[in-house]
This record gives sequence, C-alpha cells and structure tokens, in this order.
Amino acid sequence: MLASLAALVAAAGTAVAQPPSVTRHVLPNGMAVVVRENPVAPVVTASLQVRAGSRFETAETAGITNFLVRTMIRGTARRSGTQVAETAEDIGGSLDASGEVESAEIRGEALARHWEELLGLIAEVALEPSLRGEEIERERRLVLSQIKTRAETPFSLSLDTLLRELYGSHPYAWHSLGLKSAVERLGRAQLAAHYRAVFRADRAVLAVSGQVSRERVVRAAERLFTKLPRSGAHEVGAAPPAAPSGERRVLERPAQQAQILAGYLGPGLNDPAYPAFRVLGAVLGAGTAGRLFAELREKRGLAYSLGALTPFRTGPSFLVTYLGTAPENSAAAEAGLLAELEKLRRAPVSDEELARAKAYLLGSFALDRRTNARQAWHLAFFEVIGVGWDFPERYARALEAVTTADVEAVAQRYLNRPSIVVLQPPPR
Amino acid sequence: MSCPARLAPVLLASLLGSACSAVTPSSPNPSEGSMPTRRILVNGVRVVVQEFHASDVVAVQLWVGVGARDEASSELGLAHYLEHMLFKGTVTRAPGFVEREVEGVGGRINAGTSLDYTYYHTVLPAPRAIPAVEMLADMSVNSTLSEKTLDLEKRVVLEEMRLGEDNPRRRLSRQLYELLFDGHPYGRPVIGTSELIQVLTRETLVGFYRRHYVPESFVLVVVGPIIASEVLAAAERTLGRLPRSGLKRLPLSAPDAGRSARLEIERPGTQAYLGMAWLGPKLDHADTPVVDLLVSILGQSRSSRLPQMLRERLGLVSSVSTAYSALEAAGAVTVTAQLEPANLARAEAQILRELQRVRERGVTDAELRRAVTAAEARYAFSTETAEGRAYAFGRAETVWRLEEELAYVDRLRSVTPAQIRSAARRYLDPERYARLAFVPPAR
Repeated sequence: MLASLAALVAAAGTAVAQPPSVTRHVLPNGMAVVVRENPVAPVVTASLQVRAGSRFETAETAGITNFLVRTMIRGTARRSGTQVAETAEDIGGSLDASGEVESAEIRGEALARHWEELLGLIAEVALEPSLRGEEIERERRLVLSQIKTRAETPFSLSLDTLLRELYGSHPYAWHSLGLKSAVERLGRAQLAAHYRAVFRADRAVLAVSGQVSRERVVRAAERLFTKLPRSGAHEVGAAPPAAPSGERRVLERPAQQAQILAGYLGPGLNDPAYPAFRVLGAVLGAGTAGRLFAELREKRGLAYSLGALTPFRTGPSFLVTYLGTAPENSAAAEAGLLAELEKLRRAPVSDEELARAKAYLLGSFALDRRTNARQAWHLAFFEVIGVGWDFPERYARALEAVTTADVEAVAQRYLNRPSIVVLQPPPR
Repeated sequence: MSCPARLAPVLLASLLGSACSAVTPSSPNPSEGSMPTRRILVNGVRVVVQEFHASDVVAVQLWVGVGARDEASSELGLAHYLEHMLFKGTVTRAPGFVEREVEGVGGRINAGTSLDYTYYHTVLPAPRAIPAVEMLADMSVNSTLSEKTLDLEKRVVLEEMRLGEDNPRRRLSRQLYELLFDGHPYGRPVIGTSELIQVLTRETLVGFYRRHYVPESFVLVVVGPIIASEVLAAAERTLGRLPRSGLKRLPLSAPDAGRSARLEIERPGTQAYLGMAWLGPKLDHADTPVVDLLVSILGQSRSSRLPQMLRERLGLVSSVSTAYSALEAAGAVTVTAQLEPANLARAEAQILRELQRVRERGVTDAELRRAVTAAEARYAFSTETAEGRAYAFGRAETVWRLEEELAYVDRLRSVTPAQIRSAARRYLDPERYARLAFVPPAR
C-alpha cells in the first residue's frame, strides 16, 4: 500500500537545496549586522554578541559579564523580567543570555512572522536594561547555585580544576560563570559600569538567521540600535601568560566513577598550527574511530564516556582528554590514556587516520551549523572576535589542507608534560 | 530548545551518551518540504520517506518496536544491551564498520533505547542514503553478537550505569519512574541491573534479538534530498526480503491508579533535588494535548507558574520545571526542582498550592494562548533539520500514528481553558503522588 499523506498536509512547498546567502552590513554607529536568509522553516533566531566575557576579567571581576547579561534580561525601563519573558513567549520564542569566554550573548528566537518584534525586544534589553537591585540579588543567587553545582559535579569539577592547572593566572583559568568570591561581591555600580563599557556599537554584532528579508532586517536594526554608542578605540589588555603546572592533582570526592583528565595548552585559532591541533584532537577523540574510543572503550572496556576537547580560543587554546571509569580501574585507565598521548608524540598518524579525523571534524562542523540558532551564534561569534563571520569556510579549507607532517609537528610542539587531574572516591 | 512536553525522551539510554542532543521531535511544518510518503512492505516493515532539500544531509533512522517494557523480569536491560551490540559487526561487516561507512564520510550515528522503543539514527551526506539503508538493514538481523565483544561490552554498560548514578538529574528521573510505576514494566530501569548484565549470556541475547528484531517491528525513516522511489526500492530489496515472523507485540496493560509514595535518599553534595510524579494520560488519549498544555503553563518557560512563584518570587529553588511523558500505555507528569535542603518542605507545599490553584481557578486565556504558540514554535523549529523530522515520523509510526502526529498542532489549538482545569483536577491530585528527594548526607 502506498499511502500519500497529501490530505493530511495542508500545503507542501518546494524548497530547493541551495546554500542560504549571508550578507554583512555595518550600521552608521559601527555595529555589524550579519543576515542569513534561510527559507527552510518559518522561524527566526537572532544573536547579539559583544566582545566581552571571562577572557577580559580578573580574579576580582570573574563572572561579571555573565552576571550582567543574565540580569539584563530581567527587566528594562519599560518591562519587568516577567513581562520580557511573556513578550518573547507571545511571539513563539524565548530570550536568553549568557557570558561566555570570548563573547557575551543575548539571543532570541521566534516564529518568523514576528521577526521585527524579536529584534525590538533584543534591542530594548540591550539598550535599556533596568538592572534593578532585587533582580541583581535574584540572579546572584542563581549564579551562585550554578557555581556550586559545577563544584559538586564530578566531571565539571575535574575539568575546572584542570583548566586552573593549565592556565594559572590567565583568565581562561576559570569558567565563564565566574568565581564565587567575585560573584558574591559584585554590586550594581560595577555591573552598570561594565554595561557601559561593553555594550558599545563597535564591539557588538547582531546576527539574524531565518525566514527573513535581509533589507528589512538591516533597516530595522539601523532604527533599533542607532542609540547604541560607539566606544572609540578599545584596547584589549594583555592577559597574564598561561603557565601550565604539568602536575598531577588528585581530588577525593564520593562518586561511583573516577574521572581522569589530562590536558595541554595549544595554539589559538589565528595560529597557523590551529587546524592541525584540532586534527590531533580528532585523532584522539573523534567518534568511534578516535584512538581513545577504539583502545580504551572498544578493546579494554574501561569507559563509557570519554573523548577530547579542543575549543575556539583567540588566545592559547587547550586539548583536554578525559574518561570516567570504575574506581578500581582508575590506575589502568590513567596509564592507558597517557600511553595514547605518548604514542601520538612518538609516531606519526597514518594517512587513513588523518583522512578519517578530517572527515569527522568537517562533518561535525557542517552538522553543527544547520539550525538557525547555531548559524546565528556562529556568524555573530566569529565576527565579534575579529576573524569574520566567514571564518568557518576558511577554517574548513585549512582543515582539509592539514598533512600528517603538520599533525606530527603539533604533537611534538604541544604534547609535552600533561597536566593531570584524577577525581576518585576516598578509599573505603 | 526543548522537546515538546509529551515527547520528553525520558529514560532514554544511548550508545554514545548524547541522546536527544540534536533532535527535537516534532511534526513537520506543512509549508516546507514534500509530503512524507508512507508504505507498508509485504512483510510488515513500515517505511516513511520525505524529500527535504534544506541541506545536503540525509537522516536515515531505523525504529524498532522493542523497549524495556518488553523484557521479562529476568531480561532487564536486554533491549539496551542489544542496541550497543548492534554496532559490533555483522556476518558481512567487520567490527569498525561504523567508522568506515559513517564517520569516515563525515556522518554520525547513534542509538537510543527507551521504555517503548529502540532507534538507530544516522545523518550522512545525501549520496550515502542508500548504503545507510543497507547498513541498518544488515545490523537489524545479521549482527554477530560475538561472545568476546559481548563480555567486553559488559564493562562499558556497567560504566554507563555508574555515570548515571553520578548524575543527580538522570538518577532522579529514573528512580521517580520506579516509584510512580512500581510493579509495572514502566517502572523498570531501561539500562537494566548490574546483576543481570554481569551474568548475561550470548544465548539469552540472541534469543531476544531473534524474537524482537523482526519485520513487523521495523520502521525505516529517510528524510533528506533523496528520491523517494529510490529509497523505497532499497527498502524493498533489503528489509522487504525478510520473512514475516508472525510477531504481534503484546499490548501493555495500564498501571494501577497512581500511587502515593515518599522516598528520601542521601547522596553526596550540599544541594537537594525534589521530584514529584503523577500518572497522566497515555499517548493515544483524548486528554494528551490538554495535559501537554497544562504542563507547559505550569513549568516549561521562564514566565510559567512554578518558576515564577518558586524561583522568582519566593526564592525557594534554583530551578524548577515540569514534564509530561506520554508513553504507549500510560503517561507521567513530573515536577522536578533543585534547591537548598532547608527549603524542601516549603517548596513541595508551594508546588501543591500551585496545582490546587489551577484545579480551582483554571488558567487564563493569555496563558493558554502563550502555551499554544510555544508548541507551534517548537514544531516549527524542529522542522529545521532532516533528523528532527525523521524523529517525529519514526516515533509516531512506532508508538502512535503518523497522521495523528501531523495533526497534533491543530488538536492543541482547539483546547479550552475549561478542559485544562478539568485535566488538572483529573490528573494532578495534591494528595496522591509519588515523591522522591535526594538530600545531602546527615553529618
């Protein structure tokens, strides 16, 4: 029986496989607007990002950017926090905000027919936040609770500990949620001053992706964001140098699994060695073909969850390998993990392995950029950190060009003396 | 982006630990893409295909009508264990085929097992669609399930269990279901028990595989820039050639009326977790869309009632949310919260007060309108990707009906405030519910 569902589907369109077009405009005040017209679904997403985040913070202000943008969506001169949320939900969407490492974002999504209301709401939050005292206190309580949860979760506690070991006094050493000691003390005056410093047209990018018209989005953005002031030249202060400890730290916590993490610093995304460093990470941690999965899970059954992390960072990035294992297997798993790292340093990867790692990375990168929300984030992120919204295409070409010799060179250069964190339950 | 309430992928255990990371189940937006085509092959295999040209990516999924609920009490965890083992090689595909045929071409594959079903999902460059159909068909009936890999995988699954124990939210969900559905197959752990996994034999596993991986249980879903007739032909010459088994899946009886049960468990840390659960309507029930909206109004957005009252106004919790999981034979409505231990009693009492308020005074027109709009938007967003569409089709065809799925948003639109109030009265009894709390160890 061949049953067509024509009767059940109101009106079928005929979408055509063609890459949605992306354009970039600069408003008179210096703010960049990147628009991606995408007809696939009747939705729109927007990402307003400013160049701020934990990278620019100090131990005294750690977490201020996330705290600020989270408080910004809690009310404007015209609307309470509840009204902001209700307005977003009325247009089939939501509004959210977070401070990350390299940028801070106010993001929203809605049904496409409400795109202009969505941009209006984001502009209102960005330009007229009320930062009321009681909302600051509510958000402080929630952020402190999130910090506590990270500290009580075996994996995130281990990762945060390892990043401190790797980065020392560099601000990449702490999570963008910040440090408890700083978040407890930050007051309204500091948040307001931080707002004035970072919500500036020439350090902001608005990216919009969805069923929208480029011209109309640009016109609306021009009208809505015209009051966002320029900052004039803003210097990005140099961060203290990152200095990996190269030590092995042991944390004792009650848990069913031991966590084993080993990491190194690596090149930033502007460094010519960066693509090869990502390939190196993929050789270790990419899917079922990655060496960690093949050796430690498939052959030895030492773990269920394991892998390698390599982020986009403008400054020194990192490679962190991890696995969770039964406490009694902790020593064997640690030795196995370190042996894989050492092997990579001593012997070149094969052509086949290189090809597989590259295919995996390119596939992941492409798969991750198919929804409007991810597209808007990527476009705004790469634009705001200064490498341009079209960085992904250049990055993909650079990945394709990586050779086995390049991978060997980054292994030699970066995989020296890992910093290690082992979390294990106390002996019984 | 969250999954629609009724489709919360509760208790889904997956091969690679990232269940539901990228897929939000939904029905398709009618204005985009071609219509899904549904075909039943002569041996009972169902095939759903949709030509969808948003990108060069195709989603190929094989759904199997077997889950934890189909296990005998001596077989707990077998459906999930088998899901792991299907990646270990077939008679003609040596171990490592996943990396060669999927990852090596830039694709991804994973699988998940729930109470009602198991599914294998892959996304690939479109030209790989037919080979993927062939690969999934091969895995579905020709897996070797070798003795050696069986033993090794036991260690991996035991690690997966430990990981779940260290994750308070996941553990809370699982144990809350155990409490709510005590004595019913839905109260079983999908992942099984370590005792049974440790003594699992190949013979038992092969028996389960032969019994449940049969044409009548299979749904193949392919969505992407493909030619439907080519996919259907590939399905015919692979899955279509399997002999009928005559299997008729036994219907599951509904659980007894909701239980009152209270349990408090110590776990490491300084924060507490609270879970409360009620029996809700099963998937195929007239009240399903009503409860879906009720749950949304109570706790699925920033402006919804429980977050506004408990988190924003009273400061009793750091998070609180509601979920509704509509299973084939029953539903579960849950409220979960993270909070300081000292606030447990007050938070629970306040949640009950909020439920009582809906039972007595119902919801406003604005709340209902917002909840319908939110559902409409979730559907629209989930049609962005091939796998989002495929998930909705596959799940509907496996545990529900495709045409119901496609008409679901219209059913939501016709719900009235009076229906919501009466559903709150019917299902959310403030005196009869399962309650579980994790609390820090006593000093």
